[in-house]
Amino acid sequence: MSYRVAVIGDLDTTTGMALAGATYAHVHATKDETLAKLKEFLASDEIGLILLTHRVAEELGFEFRQAMRAKRLLPLVLRIPDKTGYTPKVDELREVIRRTVGAEIMVKKEGE
Amino acid sequence: MERIIKLELGRLNVHLPERRISLREALSSPKPSVRTRDGSTHFFKREELESLSKLLPETDWDKLQLPILIALDPKLGRGAARISGEPEARVAGKILNKRAAGELLIYRPEVAALRRELPTTTQYLFM
Amino acid sequence: MAAALAVSPTRMELMKLRKRVGLAQRGHDLLKEKMDALVMEFFEVLRRIQDSRAKALEQLSKAHRALSNCFAVMGTLETMQAARETKRELQLEISTRFIMGITVPAVEVGEVERNAVARGYSLHMTSSELDEASREFERALKLLVELAELEASAFAIAKELEKTKRRVNALEYILIPRLRGALKFIMMRLDEMERENFTRLKRIKAILEERG
Repeated sequence: MSYRVAVIGDLDTTTGMALAGATYAHVHATKDETLAKLKEFLASDEIGLILLTHRVAEELGFEFRQAMRAKRLLPLVLRIPDKTGYTPKVDELREVIRRTVGAEIMVKKEGE
Repeated sequence: MERIIKLELGRLNVHLPERRISLREALSSPKPSVRTRDGSTHFFKREELESLSKLLPETDWDKLQLPILIALDPKLGRGAARISGEPEARVAGKILNKRAAGELLIYRPEVAALRRELPTTTQYLFM
Repeated sequence: MAAALAVSPTRMELMKLRKRVGLAQRGHDLLKEKMDALVMEFFEVLRRIQDSRAKALEQLSKAHRALSNCFAVMGTLETMQAARETKRELQLEISTRFIMGITVPAVEVGEVERNAVARGYSLHMTSSELDEASREFERALKLLVELAELEASAFAIAKELEKTKRRVNALEYILIPRLRGALKFIMMRLDEMERENFTRLKRIKAILEERG
């Protein structure tokens, strides 16, 4: 199946991704508007990947996490740094590892 | 809880194919894939098929069945696995630098290495 | 704990219980194998994520620098106009792949990089800065698509891993000890009954002998 790319973020991110061929773009201004757009993108059968900046994801907060838990496999949602390179201090994947595999294994793996 | 366990055990092997296909069949198919027991389709990556074909003489392409099954059997001890079938054991042996005689016994790091080398053309089988 | 299982101390019940313990133990061992296999898959994906993420994010920041440059030389409005005119039809081929019954995405993307004509912005707007920014973002997008596939796989595997771990623990710490407790209870009761029977028989025999 063929899918399109959507992007949500600051003006730089959306402009850049549009230049690269992303079909849908939303420049984040207000939380409500962006949340509505995100839900629209998530419900679309045409979109296979939503890129969204970490900053926007954080601003949407609880509602973003809830939408992620409720979503199907597609569209994939990937959080990316914005123009300033912003990424959150807590890496979510690292949290998942700690929870699932346990701290011991992580330490062992990293010590390799 | 026992009902759930039975359900889980029944679910362990649903990802396996109803019927395996030979390397030759896979190589000649435009979309090499097998149908799994739960009705979905599992695709093989062409680059893996090609690297497999380089490890075996062409006369054996009909004999190698895909996906190669990595059988995890608690009877062998935790983390140990068996690869059955002569050509299957032979290619796995070549990848892992191990001599195989009809079947191949491998241990956890080797299982990991094999899965890394052949992510779509190997599958776990829970015995 | 044995009290939690209402069992009557009969041979029949003992046999049934032994079977249940066997099944639970086998289930435990197999699910533990599955857990180990999932952990292996998980770490393999994580290893690839590390590589992929480093590459993608480096390319993304390079793209942002190129875009800033383009904004400065061409003007922000003009650059945005070009972004509107660009052909925005990038297609991803997404199918699904299975790792031990878990559905993970498999994304294929054709050539993302294009030349200025294929991009479709009007040529009077074009500039080497715009081309450069577009090309760098195309490269970044291609790498991000790969990263998205890997991250989605990692989350899907982690979810299954958590579930399997819960089942293994429930078997190991609740069901199996409870069944074994019940088993021990029955065996003790049966032994006791046997001893009682034995003494009873001995007494009957003594009485009979006395009479005889």
